[in-house]
Amino acid sequence: MIETVKLSKTFKGKKAVDEIDLYIDEGESIGLLGPNGAGKSTTISMISSLLKPTAGDVKLNGKSTIKNPAEIRRILGVVPQEIALYEELSAYENLKFFGEIYNVKKTILEQRIQEILEMVGLKKPQKELVKTFSGGMKRRVNIAAALLHDPKILILDEPTVGIDPQSRNHILETVRKLNEENGTTVLYTSHYMEEVEQLCKRVYIMDHGKVVASGSKEELLSILSTEDMIQVTLSEMSDTVVEKVKSIKNIRRVDATDKSLRIISKKGSSILSDLIHAVESEGILLTNFQMETPSLEDVFLHITGRTLRD
Amino acid sequence: MFPVVKAQLKKDIRSPWLVILLTLGSILFTYIFTYVNNNEQTQTTIPIFSSDFNSSEVEEKWEPLLNANQDYVFVITDESEAHADVEEGNSEAAIRLSESDYQIIAASNTQAVQLVEDYVHTVFTQEAQLEAASGSEDIEATRKQIGGYLEDAPLQMQTESIEDGEVPEYNMQLQLLFGFTLFLAMFTIGFKVNGVTSDKISGVWDRMILSPVSKTAMYAGHLFYSFFIGFIQICIVLVIFNYVMDYNLGHNFGMLLTVSAVFTLSMVSLAMLFTGFIKTPEQFNMIFPSIIPIVPVISGVYMPPGLISNPVLLFIADLFPLVHAMEALMDIALFDAGWNEVTLPLVLMLLIGVICMGVGVNLVERRTK
Ligand SMILES: Nc1ncnc2c1ncn2[C@@H]1O[C@H](COP(=O)(O)OP(=O)(O)OP(=O)(O)O)[C@@H](O)[C@H]1O
Ligand SMILES: [Mg+2]
Repeated sequence: MIETVKLSKTFKGKKAVDEIDLYIDEGESIGLLGPNGAGKSTTISMISSLLKPTAGDVKLNGKSTIKNPAEIRRILGVVPQEIALYEELSAYENLKFFGEIYNVKKTILEQRIQEILEMVGLKKPQKELVKTFSGGMKRRVNIAAALLHDPKILILDEPTVGIDPQSRNHILETVRKLNEENGTTVLYTSHYMEEVEQLCKRVYIMDHGKVVASGSKEELLSILSTEDMIQVTLSEMSDTVVEKVKSIKNIRRVDATDKSLRIISKKGSSILSDLIHAVESEGILLTNFQMETPSLEDVFLHITGRTLRD
Repeated sequence: MFPVVKAQLKKDIRSPWLVILLTLGSILFTYIFTYVNNNEQTQTTIPIFSSDFNSSEVEEKWEPLLNANQDYVFVITDESEAHADVEEGNSEAAIRLSESDYQIIAASNTQAVQLVEDYVHTVFTQEAQLEAASGSEDIEATRKQIGGYLEDAPLQMQTESIEDGEVPEYNMQLQLLFGFTLFLAMFTIGFKVNGVTSDKISGVWDRMILSPVSKTAMYAGHLFYSFFIGFIQICIVLVIFNYVMDYNLGHNFGMLLTVSAVFTLSMVSLAMLFTGFIKTPEQFNMIFPSIIPIVPVISGVYMPPGLISNPVLLFIADLFPLVHAMEALMDIALFDAGWNEVTLPLVLMLLIGVICMGVGVNLVERRTK
């Protein structure tokens, strides 16, 4: 349905998006993951025709959308990263405004607004001003405003940043319903791994403007199939102990936080005795030890050497 | 376009205070300033006296001649009282009269004293000329003769207003009324046009771009709304002064409104030009209100006409619509000017409008890319 071909954007000599190829089939729900500044929003702006690419193309059903964006705009619903609403108006008035600019027929607009308010769980406070809403409620109106014209494709740019868990679950549930029950194609951007794991069948991982990995969740996890993930907790932490653990044979990576170590080692290698030895030689106790199944977060760490949120 | 206008209108109905305050402000400012101005004029009282032997005769001769002007009231006073008035600052000056001469008594040589002196000098010179002309004959008869002659002179220069009738006195009160009204409307218009930047920053603009609404309709919606609110504000103020407070705004209220409409249009464009140079609505709210108050000052709104002669200032003032609107409004209200006489200011305002709009929209669009 939608396809990008070597999509690139350069801002004043700085490559924000660098030759990205991705495709989205009808009815799919795709995750676009990446840390701050990875180029997610820039990619989305180009796909939704708000930003002209420096190079490359965006295609809808094989036709370039750059010269003639009317077609893609008609079937697209975009939820921007920032709250793009009239805060001085009520939730209802905002939805009415966006419905009107999308030429939703008067006869069905009212019903449509009520349906959507119901869906995002804001039917009761609909007459209250958006500026009086909590962050989570605002986010939900922000999503609702993109749904009035019943878009075939819904693009959401980090729709859950900085909100309460209740609103967050509500949003995730809404998006899931839209995708599964309504057949809406979804492109979901986030830097929360769990959300994407929960919501999306296929994931693109971006870093520094490039797609660094992509595939289904299983495919991505198989990248780590040759490694074990071990989490240990220590009675205290020191730099030398980290260095000692790092030098143990078959250990590939050590990340130290407060009083715990996250260790990636070669699959099936027995490092436990070496580990205990190294820790105790520093006079430190090993208080907890856990083998973990790797998550997409670990995949990301593996590929970029960074955590998603640093 | 109409959803955009409706949304703006709804926002303002929610919090109409800015517009209401600026409207009330126009009325209040005009009222206070013209009131103060009027009082000052009627209160320029100058004590006069004579210490000649035939003092009462001298006083009675000059008193009516001096009082032929409306700016000053000359009151015959006791000499010591006159001195006291000047010393205590109750009067700017007092005048000691003689048969054919006078002496100004003042505490200091201020500009006000200078003006009185000029005026009194004119009256005495005229009288002296009359006396000289009549020789030994009866001055009163000569005065009448000359008066009659002047009224029906063989060579007549008539100062007439453009249409017909006498040249009315320049009316500062009217100028302040129009000045404040347009000045405060400039703020309203600016703050409304700033809605474009607000929408851009909030992201609502991008949402509209993705919708089927055309860009022209987006701009038109915002600009039409700004025009509408600005114009309504001017109308309300003018209607209140004309019909409720019974100020004399001339005979052609419709023309006043038309000029106001063209002014509003051209101010909307000017605000759009500002928008082209700023990034955020907050920036606009800082810069616009700090530049706009200079406009009426260099446009000479607060002063009688002709006092600003610096060509640079005059040129700068000409770049803003205010000076042209003031000229047209004063001509209509004071001199009953017709369409022909106000064509130039109207055309100039439209020209400013077209240029500012073109440049402004272009700058805004370029910034987006
Ligand atoms: N208009 C712009 N002008 C200049 N640089 C920009 C512009 N927009 C984005 N960038 C830069 O491009 C890079 C990618 O930004 P982008 O907003 O796409 O990242 P993101 O993945 O959405 O990050 P976040 O999670 O913070 O939203 C960043 O380094 C950013 O500073
Ligand atoms: Mg972003």
